[in-house]
Amino acid sequence: MEKPEIPVEVPVSKLRARSRRDFLLFGAGTLAAAAGFWWLLPDDTRRLHLTDKMRGWLDSLEARVGATGERRERFLNGVLTFDDDVAEALYSPDRSVRTYSKSDVTPLRNNYEGKTPGPGYLPGWTLTLSGLASGKIETLTIGDLLSKFPRHDQVTRLCCVEGWSIIAWWGGLRFADLLSAYPPAPGAKWARLDSAVNLDFSGNPDPYYVSIDLPTARHPQALLATHVSGRPLPLAHGAPLRLLVPMKLGLKNIKAVTSIAYSAAEPGDYWGERGYSKYDGL
Amino acid sequence: MSSIAAAPAVPRAATRAVVVKHHALVRLSHWLNVPILFGMIATGLSIYWAAPVFEHARDATTGSTDYIADLGIWIVRHVPGASGDHDPGGWVYNRVGIGTFHLALALRLHWLFAYLFMANGLLYVLGLFLGDGYRALLPRLSDVPEALKMLRYYAGVLPAKLLRRPWPHPPVRSKYNALQRGAYFSMPILGILAVASGWAIHKPVQLKWLERLFVNYNGARIVHFTVMVVFAAFVVPHVILVFADGWDTFRSMITGWSERVREGASHGKA
Repeated sequence: MEKPEIPVEVPVSKLRARSRRDFLLFGAGTLAAAAGFWWLLPDDTRRLHLTDKMRGWLDSLEARVGATGERRERFLNGVLTFDDDVAEALYSPDRSVRTYSKSDVTPLRNNYEGKTPGPGYLPGWTLTLSGLASGKIETLTIGDLLSKFPRHDQVTRLCCVEGWSIIAWWGGLRFADLLSAYPPAPGAKWARLDSAVNLDFSGNPDPYYVSIDLPTARHPQALLATHVSGRPLPLAHGAPLRLLVPMKLGLKNIKAVTSIAYSAAEPGDYWGERGYSKYDGL
Repeated sequence: MSSIAAAPAVPRAATRAVVVKHHALVRLSHWLNVPILFGMIATGLSIYWAAPVFEHARDATTGSTDYIADLGIWIVRHVPGASGDHDPGGWVYNRVGIGTFHLALALRLHWLFAYLFMANGLLYVLGLFLGDGYRALLPRLSDVPEALKMLRYYAGVLPAKLLRRPWPHPPVRSKYNALQRGAYFSMPILGILAVASGWAIHKPVQLKWLERLFVNYNGARIVHFTVMVVFAAFVVPHVILVFADGWDTFRSMITGWSERVREGASHGKA
């Protein structure tokens, strides 16, 4: 129950002093918030606001207090790492990904960032494995992969960092099976998957690469997919072999994989180097 | 022998009767919400831009499939100050959001503001309990008839002012009138919905039970977007009514006390 309000008699001088203090704090907070926002705003968005003169004045003020773009990057990277640590702490130990029925399948979406590679690479395509316990470099054809490993099917969802998602029926070999057939060198903790055939917007080579931690690679729902909807992968979806890790964002699900290299140190990640998380766990 | 000059001068009141309105943590979290929600909306719009959840068939002339892009195109076409913008479809995203083609930055900032928002929500709840403010927020049965009276009052207040007719404010026997209570009580609930739908979108594999609460992934996105619109819509009457109510109300959210002492209140001593 709400209690009745009880008025209290307070000396006017005390009220004035408190008022002054609180309003000063309020003003300081407002200024700090406005300055913080300006600092976080990207340069080309800044150009859409205020006049040249005001922007110049704010920029020099910023430089004087040492609020550099470099510091901003470091700060935001810290936020990203924090969020990834929270996700890892929340993650359930079994890490199973929800599966759907084939009637839930939605249309696929080709989200190649650049041009979709043409069919020219397919006849000569091989998968190169390095960083193996044997010390050798293995080269496998799609025929080797299809005949050597059992095929697993799963209907899972692919979530894009952009916010859209699709549900598809994938088929392929388990990454875990490849790992036990060609074990990585002792001490390896990471896999780097490369697609040498990836293109940029104008169709020039733009190799794509992702980092995957080995526990994720060994997950039973991590596939090296060769099929979608029961048919071999089309070019738009990474023929002849793509990574399918439905517990990670779509950008980790590299298409047209051409090589896998195991390492002890965390390898580079294409989008991780472009301001996105490299953890990408869903 | 009486002399007016000899009467002692009445001393200026050295004290004033005030009532405590809002706990310091409630005030702090209230104002922190302004930049935090602004940041959430600005970065959220830039994320939304990458893959709008509300889409229509491609417009033959503009090529747009997105209602927010349509709004920008309309603004650039019809609002004098905005005409000639090189990117009409991005007008809203560039002005209200942090800009188009800034998904990576927008995501990182969105997580930053999201963690601040959650921490601030805890501060608010803590303040509500430490200052006993939660009691005034809890809905009660009398709120239904009182809300109707308040609606009738607001509907007639302007005409009554213009016609110079008396238009008394319905009696309020609580810290808030029924409409205020409804609005202020729904804010924390809206905050919880925002956080829950946000996590469902952010971690749909780990928190699949949470995603199912919103039916599916797009369900969570639609709730998340709608909550943002409701937050934004709340601000407009909220600010107008504070202005209408006056300085004391605004000040009480900064200093915590109010000089408005309800009639019939028993006095205490500081």
